[in-house]
Amino acid sequence: MKIRLLYGTLILALGVGSTAFLVFFEPKVDYNADVKPILNKHCIACHGGVKQAANVSFLFEEEAIGQKGKSGKIAIVAGDADQSEAIRRILLPADHDEKMPKGGPPLSAQEIETLKKWIDQGAKWGQHWAYNRVESPEVPKIGTFFSRFGLTDNAETSWAKNEIDHFILEKLRVENLKPAPQADRPTLLRRLSLDITGLPPTEAQVAEFESDKSENAYEKQVDKLLNNKAYGERWAGMWLDLARYADTKGYERDAGRTIWRYRDYVIKAFNDDKPFSTFTTEQLAGDLLPNPTNEQLIATAFHRNTMNNDEGGTVDEEFRTSAVIDRVNTTWEVWNGTTFSCVQCHSHPYDPIKHDEYYKFLAFFNNTRDEDVTSDTPTLRLYKPEDEKKVAQLKKWVATHTVNQTNSTQIQAEISKFVQVMEPKYNSHDIETLTNASLLDAKYFGFQHDGLARLKKVTLTGKNRLLIGIGTNGNATMQVRKDKPDGEILLTFVPPKTGSAWKDTVLVLPLPPTVGIHDMYFTNSSPKTPKEWVMIKWVSFQTLPTNAPTAEFAQFENTYRQILNASNTDQTPVLVDAEGNMKRKTQVFERGNWLVKGKTVTANVPHIFPSLPTNLPANRLGLATWMTSRANPLTARVAVNRFWEQFFGNGIVETVEDMGSQGIAPTHRELLDWLAVEFMEIDQWRVKKLLKRIVMSATYQQSSALTAKKLAKDPFNKWLARGPRVRLSAEQVRDQALAVAGLMSHKMFGPSVMPPQPNGIWLSPWNGESWVSSKGEDRYRRALYTYWKRTSPYPSMMTFDTPSREFCQLRRLRTNTPLQALVTLNDTVYVECAERLASEMQTRGKTPEQQISAGFKMILMRDIEPAKLKILVGLYQQTQKYYAQNPQEARKLLARRDASSQKAALTVTANAMLNLDEFVTKE
Amino acid sequence: MEKLLKELHQAQLAAQTRRHFLETCATGLGGMALGAFLQSCGVVPGSETAAANAATPQIDPSAVRSPQFAPKAKSIIYIHTAGSPSQLELFDYKPELVKFDGKDCPQEFLEGKKFAFIRGVPKMMGTQGKFAQYGQSGAWLSDYVPHLQAVADDITFVKAMYTDQFNHAPAQLLMHTGSARLGRPSLGSWVTYGLGSERDNLPGFIVLASGGKQPDAGQSIWGSGFLPSVYQGVQCRTDGEPVLYVSDPKGMSRDVRKQTIEAINEVNRQQYETVKDPEILTRISQYEMAFKMQMSVPDAMDISQEPQYILDLYGADPHKGSLARNILLARRLVERGVRFVQLFDWGWDTHGTSLDLSIDTGLRDKCRESDKAVAALVQDLKQRGLLDDTLVVWGGEFGRTPMQENRDNQKLPFKGRDHHLEAFTIWMAGGGVKRGFSFGQTDDLGYYGVKDRTHVHDLQATILHLLGFDHTKLTYQFQGRPFRLTDVAGKVIHSVLA
Repeated sequence: MKIRLLYGTLILALGVGSTAFLVFFEPKVDYNADVKPILNKHCIACHGGVKQAANVSFLFEEEAIGQKGKSGKIAIVAGDADQSEAIRRILLPADHDEKMPKGGPPLSAQEIETLKKWIDQGAKWGQHWAYNRVESPEVPKIGTFFSRFGLTDNAETSWAKNEIDHFILEKLRVENLKPAPQADRPTLLRRLSLDITGLPPTEAQVAEFESDKSENAYEKQVDKLLNNKAYGERWAGMWLDLARYADTKGYERDAGRTIWRYRDYVIKAFNDDKPFSTFTTEQLAGDLLPNPTNEQLIATAFHRNTMNNDEGGTVDEEFRTSAVIDRVNTTWEVWNGTTFSCVQCHSHPYDPIKHDEYYKFLAFFNNTRDEDVTSDTPTLRLYKPEDEKKVAQLKKWVATHTVNQTNSTQIQAEISKFVQVMEPKYNSHDIETLTNASLLDAKYFGFQHDGLARLKKVTLTGKNRLLIGIGTNGNATMQVRKDKPDGEILLTFVPPKTGSAWKDTVLVLPLPPTVGIHDMYFTNSSPKTPKEWVMIKWVSFQTLPTNAPTAEFAQFENTYRQILNASNTDQTPVLVDAEGNMKRKTQVFERGNWLVKGKTVTANVPHIFPSLPTNLPANRLGLATWMTSRANPLTARVAVNRFWEQFFGNGIVETVEDMGSQGIAPTHRELLDWLAVEFMEIDQWRVKKLLKRIVMSATYQQSSALTAKKLAKDPFNKWLARGPRVRLSAEQVRDQALAVAGLMSHKMFGPSVMPPQPNGIWLSPWNGESWVSSKGEDRYRRALYTYWKRTSPYPSMMTFDTPSREFCQLRRLRTNTPLQALVTLNDTVYVECAERLASEMQTRGKTPEQQISAGFKMILMRDIEPAKLKILVGLYQQTQKYYAQNPQEARKLLARRDASSQKAALTVTANAMLNLDEFVTKE
Repeated sequence: MEKLLKELHQAQLAAQTRRHFLETCATGLGGMALGAFLQSCGVVPGSETAAANAATPQIDPSAVRSPQFAPKAKSIIYIHTAGSPSQLELFDYKPELVKFDGKDCPQEFLEGKKFAFIRGVPKMMGTQGKFAQYGQSGAWLSDYVPHLQAVADDITFVKAMYTDQFNHAPAQLLMHTGSARLGRPSLGSWVTYGLGSERDNLPGFIVLASGGKQPDAGQSIWGSGFLPSVYQGVQCRTDGEPVLYVSDPKGMSRDVRKQTIEAINEVNRQQYETVKDPEILTRISQYEMAFKMQMSVPDAMDISQEPQYILDLYGADPHKGSLARNILLARRLVERGVRFVQLFDWGWDTHGTSLDLSIDTGLRDKCRESDKAVAALVQDLKQRGLLDDTLVVWGGEFGRTPMQENRDNQKLPFKGRDHHLEAFTIWMAGGGVKRGFSFGQTDDLGYYGVKDRTHVHDLQATILHLLGFDHTKLTYQFQGRPFRLTDVAGKVIHSVLA
């Protein structure tokens, strides 16, 4: 196909009409465009990343070229197709034993020809286009020589508004399509407003735009919308699918999780137009930035949106690993548009990424302190003002009393960190249960009378305090011994009765000076209450400044303990890296099995990409810097493609989740590259600038009406000879209805809300939480503030294709189903919207014609066509008659004693209007 | 209007189909052969209908499609006893285990093994049921399931099932989506993706849940994963509206609703005349279907229409949500052409931590509540001539240990068994499986399968086979590769096929 195109271009370019010429001129076969697809289609399944049948692989150059297979023959001999075993076998008759592909459909004559030519031409390997550095292509010329100078009129030059249009026109010419004229103003503003803010424009905005005759009237609206606070909410909605943001932890119990501050961070980041590079760095590595702010720590909750399994009997390490793997895969999908998850088990089947490279990459994420414990720690602790004061006092005291100590900064930093995120600590699953001990409910360590447990390899040098989160209802005496069950007693203490083993409190206990790394043995003696459990949630060994008067130190210790026990702290899960001997090493999982560990690896990026920056450590911060560097071939392309998709319904690469060699080829590769370079170099990663560039194009502003020709030639609008026409997202469907009905609350931020949903939706096992309908304006907040329960998401939004957010979803496939109709017809919120809209319509005119016309303008911003008005007035009249005859039905519909048949009929009409295709569609 | 719509439907054929292929077969136009391309969309060359399918494209994703070869079963009723009942009390009789009752578990059963809750050395526990052989086939059944005894000769027991997962949520996901991790389409979604929906007034894939809780894995186990969400299961509820939002608002009569939908569709048709977007035509037909569903769903779900003797046969109370009631509903739905009815009943997780969750009491109660209905279903389908092409599957997500659970190394207040992945029993009836047959064997203590072990993927391969699909060929292109229900494993258990 590609070759034929090339021929065509050559003929045109040279002005040679004779095909005989081509016999003497053989075009160069392009590995990526022509050869790789053939290999992927016919060969790679057996000779690639998963299997290397007969020791032959076509995945990597060094494996494919000049290598002997099991037969002793060379599959591809560069420069000589006739000597290449692969070609010989491909050409064998179908029933021959050695025929290739084995068991699959044979290659076409054209495919064989391509392969032969490529081998004869030297079998030059190439890298998939998306893995090469992005370079800005030349912007195509449009119009005629004279029209470009404004000397003559030309349809192309007068249509185009910016460079995007040049790229689009270039392809339209090839496809023999003509662009569409600009959409009418009301429709255009509605489209723009829905795209930029997720909400329809207000009547005032429409009026303003319609009456603004200035040259830059449209641009003014663009700027206004980009600066509207609703902008951040709309784009956060997109990002939260990628972040798999939800308000619960997932899996069986699916209990609540407080992580809404992350959602608010995303909204603010978009509204502040935080550069996408910074946005990336903060989310992947905010905790590793120097002196991170709370906001930067909250950003790291991006990767704490992984699920946490609280099901009894689950192994924490298994689900910790699962979360880390999810982070790796999500990072690749979101920023690099590459399906990385297959590399978990074997080398990538289609793209040249090796098995162990997965684990090198995993090493970046494998060092965080979260370990699938039920408490979801580590969390950023935000204290109430009175506790915040204590924290300040504490830090000051520590600073004063460590002045002359050599390790003063370290002590200060450690205590500050512990107050902030309560790390480093050992979680109780690290404590081995030896005698009369168990993981209670298979979650937290517990032991009874005569119980014994061990914590291995603790660094004690310099440590003078043991901090412990502990609970019991027994009369227990505990001891901590060194190295042996009957070894040196380091500590004897009586844990306070907390009412229940499950109710824990933090104790700060003195340790004698000890040097080196030791095993710690914990004993419990509670003869009076032998069946009562003592539960230990965590332990931490710390260095507190001790060179202070005893009383003052006691006061300090007390304050410290109070802070750590502070109730009602606001906690958001965040990333915290392990340090010292708690650092985790990363090993390859053989065939992806986390229990079968192979060689140890260190953090790195796959070899086909540019190297990590040398001036930064090989950690998540180094990784984020690598990702957002100018040299990274994927980040900007993937981002630009994703934003583009939001406007046009399809990405330039339709598979926004896959830019690899198996993804769908881009429709406008040069445009993608051009946008990516502009985004990095000119816009400095500022998203608003990118979005403005897109919406300022004539391409975006086209009318979306179809003609028979356009439908036939381009049913899916790949070439953009018309504007986008796509169904609104679940969030937009709801928000738009609330907005046009005047019900929408514009309140921003805060904990998620629970607008009414039918009863009996939440039925998670072992979970006492319930859906409690929000009161007041919280019932009418924008959809993105709706409480998102993973195993049971808000049902009406699910119907409109929202994902469960159990994992990252890069693209919502739009469907069109009868269940969607049922939602917008019958869900109480839509009925309420119809009723409100009807009330407003009544004030806008006397006759039903006037009222319905006004209503149509309110919801669709433009005047109603006479034929549609006639239909809706007909509906009004029919139903008005019905309600006049059945006043009790009108009273039921409107839930009012004084319900009129007119109001009821108008409500029914409004209900119909809110269900129109054009209303649920961006036109 | 009707005629015009038909014409318009014809006009949209080509575009619709191509759109469907484009959206679902991500790399279809990239580098795949036509064969593979169609395969990835569930249309497989080689089958008798392949040529027709390729030439006459589908109208919409729910349209009826032919399977790859002649199916044995046309519909499925899958009763998932969530939490997992003990095979040792119900079906898998182990007299040897009775002898070992109360003795320490042999080390070989514990070394290198992980259990959800068992710690240290647990005791073995003999069956709490009284077993005898029933029917001509001589099936071993216990007094936990007295009614099932009557239909023993209609059933194939698969007694050496095994799985990879010993926690509920992942094991349920594996059972229904072929993967313990989230994101894959469920069995029902694959089936409706492959076969479409038989009726335009009822969803093709309906889920009914009972037991007061949703299954542990959440709604994802009837989700469509990476398939378009049109293939996800639609939950029908026994309390409140049978399908969410199916009821008209108060004060809106059927006539008013009909007029509303007619007006909506008329206006949409006007809009179509102007902008010619075929998606508008789809919306028109979806609104028509919504209207039909509003009539037919409540009708199908109203079991009070059943005669008293049927209600008695099932032991179903029309006014109380229960597994028995859902089983009767399942029959009504299948009768009306629903392709896949998935039942979940929560509460079979008998650890022995409470009376409700004990082997000796809780499990008996769960059986008592549903045994009659399960047996009635088989009988009723048979008497209506539906059993031949309806496959009934019954089972949990894993088995239970031959050891008594000793959570936290303690003796629990009630008799219970822990999760067990090495061996469990499921059974199937009708729809092309043998009658009065038992497949697979476990060892004398019921710990391991020793003969004809059947993995979850094998069961899935077999179910798809009965529906007319080669499980290796019902695939969907996603993230650069074809995915299938059985991942890279699974083999059809030919021995159980009739």
